Amino acid sequence: MLTTIDRPSDARFAPPGRVPLPALNAGVNNWVPHDLVMRDTWFPLAHAAGIGTRPVRRSVYSHPYFLWREDGVAVAADHHPNEGCMARGNPMTNAFGRYPVMEQYGIVWGWFGNPDAADPVHLPSLPFLPPKGGLPGYMTGTVRFDCSAPISLENLIDLTHADFLHANVVGDEKSESESIEVSWTSETVTMVRSCTGKTVAPVMKFFSGIRQPTQNIRQVIHIYLRSHCAIAYGRFSPGDDVPLFHPCVPETRDRTRLDYVMNTSNAGFMFRHVMPKASYLVSRQDSSMTSPQSPRYMRQTKRRDLHSKFDAAGQRYRLLMQDLAARQAAGDFAYRDNVSADCGDLIGLRRELFAF
Amino acid sequence: MTQPPIWWSLARSEEVTGTTLLAADIGDQPVVLWRDKQGVARALEDRCPHRRAPLSLGCVRGNGWIQCGYHGWSYDGATGRLAEIPNMKGDQRFPPLYKAERFGVAEGGGLVRVCLDANAAPPALPAAALKLSGTSFVAMAQDRYVAALFDAPGLLIGIRGVVFTPYLMSELREEDGKLVMERSCQWKGFAWPSAFSSDFPITLTTRTDPETGETGMVLRDTEMNTLLTAVVAPVPAARGVTAIRWRAAIGAKRPGLHAKLLVGNSAFRVFQAVDAAALRVLKPSASLHGDDLRTARLARSEAA
Repeated sequence: MLTTIDRPSDARFAPPGRVPLPALNAGVNNWVPHDLVMRDTWFPLAHAAGIGTRPVRRSVYSHPYFLWREDGVAVAADHHPNEGCMARGNPMTNAFGRYPVMEQYGIVWGWFGNPDAADPVHLPSLPFLPPKGGLPGYMTGTVRFDCSAPISLENLIDLTHADFLHANVVGDEKSESESIEVSWTSETVTMVRSCTGKTVAPVMKFFSGIRQPTQNIRQVIHIYLRSHCAIAYGRFSPGDDVPLFHPCVPETRDRTRLDYVMNTSNAGFMFRHVMPKASYLVSRQDSSMTSPQSPRYMRQTKRRDLHSKFDAAGQRYRLLMQDLAARQAAGDFAYRDNVSADCGDLIGLRRELFAF
Repeated sequence: MTQPPIWWSLARSEEVTGTTLLAADIGDQPVVLWRDKQGVARALEDRCPHRRAPLSLGCVRGNGWIQCGYHGWSYDGATGRLAEIPNMKGDQRFPPLYKAERFGVAEGGGLVRVCLDANAAPPALPAAALKLSGTSFVAMAQDRYVAALFDAPGLLIGIRGVVFTPYLMSELREEDGKLVMERSCQWKGFAWPSAFSSDFPITLTTRTDPETGETGMVLRDTEMNTLLTAVVAPVPAARGVTAIRWRAAIGAKRPGLHAKLLVGNSAFRVFQAVDAAALRVLKPSASLHGDDLRTARLARSEAA
C-alpha cells in the first residue's frame, strides 16, 4: 500500500495503550530535517577513553566543544585553552566558557542548551552498557556521515533498507513473515521489527557458526529524539544478542558523527571481535544513500515522499521531531517524558546477558 | 537600496607594471591595467574609442600614458582623457568627450581591485601582501567555482600534504559580513579514512565575500597554530571562464613534519583545470547554505 498523506491517522499507527498525539500542522512530507535544531539535551561527544589531558575538538551544530581532562575529570569549553581569554557571553556556557559535562556509559556527554537546565535525569538510558564504561576498545569506534543527523536516524529506524543495502552483512529480504510495531513518547520513538524464517545474516553464518539457513529475528530501534541517540538491539535466534549504541551527533546541520559502542560481550570470540567492525562497512553503504539524500531534504518542496506500511516508524520519527522542534521554537524546553528511566523492558533486553 | 559597487581583484600587484599592459576582464567587459609614472595602478576599458582596437595591444609611454598600438592615441590613466594624437603638433586640446572609459582602481594586500564604477568609494584594504602568489584560469563559471569551493575545495586548490575531508567543524554562516566555514582536514600519508577518523589534525577556515567570492583561508592545527594563510580571488572573466588571483603566506610556527614541509612556492596551488567528472557528482551542501545566506542578505538590503 502506498500513501502520500501528510499525517498518518493515529488509529493506524498507535499501538495499544498509547495515547494518540494531537493533530499538528507539520506533516511527514513537510520534513526539512536539516532545519531541526534540538537543544537542552546531552549529546554524546566522545568515547571516554579518547579524552586525555590534551584538548580534542568536537562540534554540535557548529558550536565548538573542546574536551579534555583536569585532574581526571572531563571538562568542555567553547574555546581552546591556547586561545586564551576570549570575549564571554556564550549563553550555553558558564562565565568561563565551560559547558556542563557528564561521563556515563563510557561516553563523555556535553550539554547543549541552557546550562542551568543541565540535569543527569535527562541522560538517555542505555541499560546494555556498563554505567561506568570500561568495555574493550574493539567494541567502540567512530564513523561519520555527510548528511543531516535526522536523515541518518531515519535511515536507522527504517530497517527494511538493510535487506538491500546491507544484504551482504545482515541477509536478504526473504522471510516467512515480517511485522513492524511502533510506539513513542514525546521524547522517544521505538520500533520493533520481527521476522520469522529470515535468511540468516552472512556475518553470523561466517563468524558465529550458524548452520541453519534461516533465523528468527527481533530488532528494536529506540531513538532519543533530542540527543539524537539511538539503541539498535538485535536478537537473533539462532544467534546472538547484539545491542548497539548508535548516536548521531549533528556536528553541523548536515554532518553527523557517531561514536558507537556495540556490546558483544556475550557472543563468541570471533563474532565478538568482528561484528563491531561491521560498522565500517555498513556505514559506508548507508552513506552511499544518505549523502545524496541529504541536500534533497535541505529545503521545503511541494513534492511528496511516498511511503509504505513499513515506513510507519520513520513517519512517526518525522512527526515527533517536528512536534518537539515546534515546542522548542515556542520556548518550551521542558521534558514531558523521562529519558533516563530504564528502557530495558521496552527494548526487550535480556538482562541476564547484560548484568553490571 | 541599490547594491554597493563591487570591487574585483583583477590582478596581482606584480602583474601590473609601468612597462607592459595587462589585459583582463570582468565578465564580458575587457579591462586594461598598467602603472603610471608615479606607480599608481590604472584601469581603462580595453577599447580605444577611436577605432575600437584593444588598448592592451599598445604600450606604456615614458610619461605613464597608455598609447594605442593602432594609431598611437595616448590616454591619461587618471582621467581616461585623450592626451595626445600623433602628428597633431601643437593642437593637442580635446573636448571632454574624447576619453576612454575609466574604471575605479584600489590596490592593497598585493591585489589590484577594479570597480566598473569609476567614482565608487575605494574599499578598506590590507597594506601587507602575502608573499606567495599566482594566477590561474579555469573553464568554469565564477558562481559555480565559488559553489565548488564551498563544497569541495580539493577540486580547485591544493595545499601541500593536506587532504580536505567532507566533514565540517562549522557550517557556512555569516560573520562580519563574510560567509565563514571551517573544514576538517588530514595530512596525506598514513591516516584513517576520514569517515572513520575520530579526530583531525588540521582545519581550514574560509571567509568568503558574499558578492565577489574572494576567500580568505587559514590553515590551523589542533593547537591553534596558523600554518598557512591565503586569499583566493575568483573573478568572472570572458566566456564563462573564472580568473583566479591568489596570494599565500606560510606561518612561522609549524610544529610537526607535515607542517614543516609547507615551504616554497608550490606549498599552495590553485589548479588550472577542474576534474569535471568529480565535479559533476559533487553533492551540494555548503553551497546551498551560501545561496540561502546571500538571499537573506539581499532581502535585508532591499528592506533597508
